[in-house]
Amino acid sequence: MTEIYTAVVDIAHGPLRPAEALEFVADPRFGGIATFIGRVRQHNLGRVVTGISYDLFDALALRTFQHIGERARQEVGGPMKLYIAHAKGDLRIGDFAVVVAAATPHRDEAFRACRLAIEAVKHEAPIWKQEHYIDGHSAWSEGCSLCEEHRAEEQRAAGLAATQAGDAHGHEH
Amino acid sequence: MKRRISLFGALREADARGYIEVDVPAHSTIAELREAVQHYAREHAPAISPGLIQRSAFASGDEILHNHRSVPEQGELAILPPVSGG
Repeated sequence: MTEIYTAVVDIAHGPLRPAEALEFVADPRFGGIATFIGRVRQHNLGRVVTGISYDLFDALALRTFQHIGERARQEVGGPMKLYIAHAKGDLRIGDFAVVVAAATPHRDEAFRACRLAIEAVKHEAPIWKQEHYIDGHSAWSEGCSLCEEHRAEEQRAAGLAATQAGDAHGHEH
Repeated sequence: MKRRISLFGALREADARGYIEVDVPAHSTIAELREAVQHYAREHAPAISPGLIQRSAFASGDEILHNHRSVPEQGELAILPPVSGG
């Protein structure tokens, strides 16, 4: 039985469906389900956002999601079902950008697996966000380097403040 | 050998086709490929900052290819600027 579901959803063909995530992870063994739903918000860093375009390297994104799922399984150390789907294309305010759902026997493992998965999707998956602003400008978000030398530098630069925040990298997202 | 490199995110602005082609000697490393891409960008896409290429990773469809790895002779090859999913 497949226990990890991964998808890249081109929203030209339809939106992400959180209900589908819940259906996938539902299982009589599991009493706890944690979900994370990321939606496009209207403001970022003081600017009014009108929409977001997501660019993905599909093949590698799906492999990365699968590896993330396997790490979450090791973290949980017991039975788990996990759903990871990310949108691709041009999204409007309020559209679903990412859906993660984790189901386990109890809530603690479900929360941990869901948190691990969404953080890893944000920091490791080959996905790029371009914000469109009300003044007509657009900008690609700064992002996390996947290049090992630069990851190490970013983590050093993140320093004490990031360590205290429990999120060791040097920028906000 | 001539290798096609797929572009993503901000690096798509280097070429509207979504890829560039660079020539590197057989058995080159990813670090050498990065230099070739820097050279290409200086010539053909001056709007792309060298710092962005420096912070980018290279990848096949299967995995990230770090600087010491050899450039694969076939299969998809991509340059990935810093990521910002979610």
